[in-house]
Amino acid sequence: MTFLLTVERLSKRFGGLHAVADVSLDVTAGEICSVIGPNGAGKTTLFNMISGVLRPSGGRMVFDGVDLSTVSPWRFAAIGIGRTFQNLALFKHGTVVENILTGRHTHLRSNVLNAVLYFGRTRSEEIAARQRVEHIVEFLEIEHIRDAVVGTLSYGQQKRVELARALACEPKLLLLDEMVSGMNQEETEDIARFVLDIRDELGITVLMIEHEMRIVMDISDRVHVLNFGRKIADGTPDEVRRNPAVAEAYLGRQRAEAMKAGA
Amino acid sequence: MRTGDYKQTYGELVALIDSPPVWLWSAVLLLALIVAPYALNAYALSFLTIILITVTGALGLNILTGYTGLISLGHVGFLVTGAYAYAVLVSKYHMHPLVGFLGAGVVPAFASLIVGAPSLRLKGLYLAITTLAFSFIINTVILEARWLTNGARGISVQRPEILGISFDGDAAFTHLCLGIAILTLFATLNIRRSRVGRAFVAIRDNDTAARVMGINLHAYKLFAFVTSAFITGISGALYGIYLSFVSVEGFPFLLSIEALAILIVGGLGSALGAVLGAILIVLLPEATRLVFSLFSGQLDATFTTGAQELKSMLYGLVIILFLRFQPRGLVGAWHDVRRTWVHWPLRY
Repeated sequence: MTFLLTVERLSKRFGGLHAVADVSLDVTAGEICSVIGPNGAGKTTLFNMISGVLRPSGGRMVFDGVDLSTVSPWRFAAIGIGRTFQNLALFKHGTVVENILTGRHTHLRSNVLNAVLYFGRTRSEEIAARQRVEHIVEFLEIEHIRDAVVGTLSYGQQKRVELARALACEPKLLLLDEMVSGMNQEETEDIARFVLDIRDELGITVLMIEHEMRIVMDISDRVHVLNFGRKIADGTPDEVRRNPAVAEAYLGRQRAEAMKAGA
Repeated sequence: MRTGDYKQTYGELVALIDSPPVWLWSAVLLLALIVAPYALNAYALSFLTIILITVTGALGLNILTGYTGLISLGHVGFLVTGAYAYAVLVSKYHMHPLVGFLGAGVVPAFASLIVGAPSLRLKGLYLAITTLAFSFIINTVILEARWLTNGARGISVQRPEILGISFDGDAAFTHLCLGIAILTLFATLNIRRSRVGRAFVAIRDNDTAARVMGINLHAYKLFAFVTSAFITGISGALYGIYLSFVSVEGFPFLLSIEALAILIVGGLGSALGAVLGAILIVLLPEATRLVFSLFSGQLDATFTTGAQELKSMLYGLVIILFLRFQPRGLVGAWHDVRRTWVHWPLRY
């Protein structure tokens, strides 16, 4: 089997703290993969390393046959890694369309001189990008807010704009950091549907961090569990659900044993 | 209440001007500006010229500070470098004025790489202080390099003649400034609506997210510095020609503050704001003088003797007033007025 992303013994230390220690995981192309774990388990740090925001202290990451340690952080988008952020990282003074257009950056070619003239190829590539953005807007059902300034939108809408911006990069691997936190039932179901569509219709592999267990169990093909920076389990949602180590990480040993005895 | 404009092609979505009335008003304004130099007296014309030169410079700073969010206190350094580049090339080495203008852009652009390099690591106040230091270093370099710049004696500059057209007369020179200001305006607007401009704004709003979108932060910060310095240098050359004499004293540090005041008063990150801000800031000292002269001749005299000091006090005052009461600047006020007008009689 070929893996889109292979992470081998990855670690990150902040001073004396091992935020991520010896984590290995594989993501197969076409999978929806989840990373779960209690607060402070190192999930976001792991994502930050995979998306080039942080440099690992040790270990290896291979994406699509490329060793990521040889790639400059800003080129991660160009080789096909897109992401959303846990705490919104939108360009808040821009409109929704402008934000999504920024996601097209790596697919456009114009430099400063072309931009000044805005003529010929520069103009036609801008028009093509605008058209592309319109497709994404339609895909994520945000037509009604496309010209709104992002800072004025609700939290759920801003999350959706972030997703749109990440999709505009046309990634091979999409990293979603807690998409549905703070969303109501209906918004959560929308996002679950979009994630499935992103995989099935756009053919993008998804790796997501999620606290909302229902969405994890419903749509993931594989689940990886982190605790205190280490990976403690992986498998299908059912396997992970039955894994005693996972119950222990979430509930503590006594409660986990009590539950087991009860069941 | 008016309805919106309906667009039928994607090309219309990226157009700079998308409605016929805006086309019409822009044409009327342009025509008025072309005719104005013949209609105005010499006193008013000098203000129009200064406004046009200032607009060019403010648009230059806007790319760096407004779009990219890198605060520069040293833009007068680029102005003076541009002015000297032009003066040395044209007055001293008798090159063609077009070569002079090219030099006035390129030399500051190279200088900006030197200041730009630290900006890759420094942010906010630290960067502002680095640029401030740059402008003082430039002054010292110019004063010491006597073989090239005549040191403190300065260089006198003639009004240019380009492609057989003489820009010697005041009206003709205003037209030259108008042409360059309009070219600069289009250049900045085009940058803003392209990939490059979006990258600048992305760096300003959230540099981590910008990098995740595939924007090379180092390269784009330097692009912002170079583009900004190029435009500011051209504006400096025009100012030197306007003064007909280029010297270090002709470009006081106050100009840096004036440029920042223009952006804050106009509205940071907006080309329209830079234009409106330039008009207000250039006319402000004169308007204040007129108001004071109504009361007594004594105050009027104070104004002439302490012009620089009073100017800096005025700039400080308007910056504070705008930050407190209209933080989005004149352009924010303009948007509010326009929205009210479009939606009237409804409130929203």
